[in-house]
Amino acid sequence: MKILLLGMNHRTAPVEIRERFAADPLGTMLQKLVDRPEIEEGALISTCNRVEVVVTTENPDAARHSLYDFFSRDLGAGRGPGAGELAELTYLRQGRQAVEHVFRVASAIDSMVVGEPQILGQVKDAYREAVDAGACGPVLSRLFQRAFATAKRVKNETGIAQRPVSVARVAVDLAKQIFERLDDKRALLVGAGEMIEAALSALRDHGLGECRVANRTVERAEVLANRFGGTAHGLAELDVLLPESDVVLICVGGDEPILTRERVESSLEGRRGRPLFLIDIGVPRNIDPDVHEIVDAYLYDLDDLQEVAAANQQERRRESQRAEEIVYEEREQFAGWLVALQAVPTIRDLRERAETIRAGEVDRFAGRLDLDATQADTLEQLTRSIVNKLMHDPISQLRDETDREAGLVRLEEARVLFGLDERRGFTADEDPEESDA
Amino acid sequence: MYAFQYWAAALYLAAGVGGVLGMALPAPKVLRGARWGLGLGAIVQLAAFASLHRLEPAPSLTDLGYAVAMMAWLAVLFTLTLAWRIRLPGFVPPVAFVAFLTCFGATLHRPELASVADSGTTIPHAHVLLASAGLAALGVAGLAGLFFLLEHRALKRRRPVVRRLSLPSLEALDRVNRVALALGFPLLSLGVLTGVLWLDARVGEWWSGSVHETWMALAWVIYLGLVVLRLGGRQGPREAAASALAGFAFLVAVVAGAGVVS
Repeated sequence: MKILLLGMNHRTAPVEIRERFAADPLGTMLQKLVDRPEIEEGALISTCNRVEVVVTTENPDAARHSLYDFFSRDLGAGRGPGAGELAELTYLRQGRQAVEHVFRVASAIDSMVVGEPQILGQVKDAYREAVDAGACGPVLSRLFQRAFATAKRVKNETGIAQRPVSVARVAVDLAKQIFERLDDKRALLVGAGEMIEAALSALRDHGLGECRVANRTVERAEVLANRFGGTAHGLAELDVLLPESDVVLICVGGDEPILTRERVESSLEGRRGRPLFLIDIGVPRNIDPDVHEIVDAYLYDLDDLQEVAAANQQERRRESQRAEEIVYEEREQFAGWLVALQAVPTIRDLRERAETIRAGEVDRFAGRLDLDATQADTLEQLTRSIVNKLMHDPISQLRDETDREAGLVRLEEARVLFGLDERRGFTADEDPEESDA
Repeated sequence: MYAFQYWAAALYLAAGVGGVLGMALPAPKVLRGARWGLGLGAIVQLAAFASLHRLEPAPSLTDLGYAVAMMAWLAVLFTLTLAWRIRLPGFVPPVAFVAFLTCFGATLHRPELASVADSGTTIPHAHVLLASAGLAALGVAGLAGLFFLLEHRALKRRRPVVRRLSLPSLEALDRVNRVALALGFPLLSLGVLTGVLWLDARVGEWWSGSVHETWMALAWVIYLGLVVLRLGGRQGPREAAASALAGFAFLVAVVAGAGVVS
């Protein structure tokens, strides 16, 4: 049995191509996948950054062609590029590489933003859909369970997901380094654009208390304020709002800074050293850079936040090397399990073959010896015991060796040595010596 | 006799190493374990104090090694009490290592015996306990001050260590500093007062002009100034942090210096 994976992601195909292959509805697509005769089990991972099909098969060559066909005919529904072009936009992984790829995806090592938390949930959803559609059998179930365990290990044992890498999350973490808690803090938002909204949303997700929105046009401020349960104000009210605020987010147009050093200094009077965190995401900047020199004011502009985010991204990449080691370990364990799983039919065939020979030979000689019931029973026990003893070591070897890398080779050798494949029609009436000759 | 102390020292060491690992990895579970280790160390050290107290004759309360160990023990208790309400991940390793050093250090020398315990009055006990508690609280204030300055500097240089388990927030550190100063100064004052009463009971004077008394009186006056500035709102968080750190460094120099001289 072989595991195959065919996929395209943000590195191999642009979004306008990827979106044509988005699996929708997933259940129907899974059904079409496993209805193909060469596919035994299947699962589909479809996110905004990747579309991947993972299957198990006994016939890898046929399954490979079938996967390309599934991609272009079913997933792409004829809208995507042709088969030749598809090969350049996708990647095919087989065996251990496929296992490793699934583990890397679930652990967010393969993500656009290394360590991002969403992908694990998306892989879990993909697994659930495959189970619901009846497309997931024991091998893929095990593969996904191990992928989740690997992702958990990577998260717990490395720092891959610990440092924030988006500007909004960096701002939140900085706020948490300044303030003990955010739910009793007041935020002042100057401007009502998308950047402000993203930063406010992140701060709100982390429990930011009250928010007030000040904008040139109060109507626009009201829209944002209503969405986040805040109050709307005009820019003329800034001098009243500023002294009462703990976090200031600013992004408005204009060439001159709106918040000068003097203005901020005067707003800090009477605060008894309560810190003020200012985030300037305007370009050109809306806050005089000298404000950062005020002892209790901490000013970060867009470049500063991006610099911290980039440094964190770098750190995550460093941590991903440790994560790769974990993935390698888990991959080897899974490969061992797969080999062990494949040993079961070989051991069964071996036992069946030995028993067929034994029973045949007993039948052949029992007639000549004219044995009574007790003697026949003794002969039966004697031969059974000899066969069991002879088979014990080879079977133990197969079972014990299967967790090694050479396990698959050993299984293949056993099948050849004992003629398990060629001699499926062998009967006790045939003399093995003669047929070999 | 020293079994409890060895165990307490081992627990403190484990808590310190666990705290460092918990911060560096970062691993919240390890850090939580380190906090439990610190608490367990404090309980075992209490048993060590109890076993020493039952000795005949008991070690002197004024023995410098044991007085410092008691101060560190009280600092552990104070830190754990604060950590109940405020997130203080960075506090466990330094407090645990100081507790380890003092606890282990106290076992390395032969303590003075019984000269104070046999004096038949509770004033020396009160003096040592109150002064140690005051020093412990002011030590925690100094540590909070040090962390505040480090974090403030990182934020001002725009090179913050943004990670899940970094130092406590500036606001939390400032709160710890304020609480520790508000608690530590009265305890220190009571320690000084009981010291004066003890001197009076022993030699019939309130002031003998010894090195210890002179420098301790100066330290008390300095702290009085810090408290007035801080609680009067004339000192911002950064100045308060620097003052707490400098004040505690001075206090340690006074206690250790006077101990060595005497």
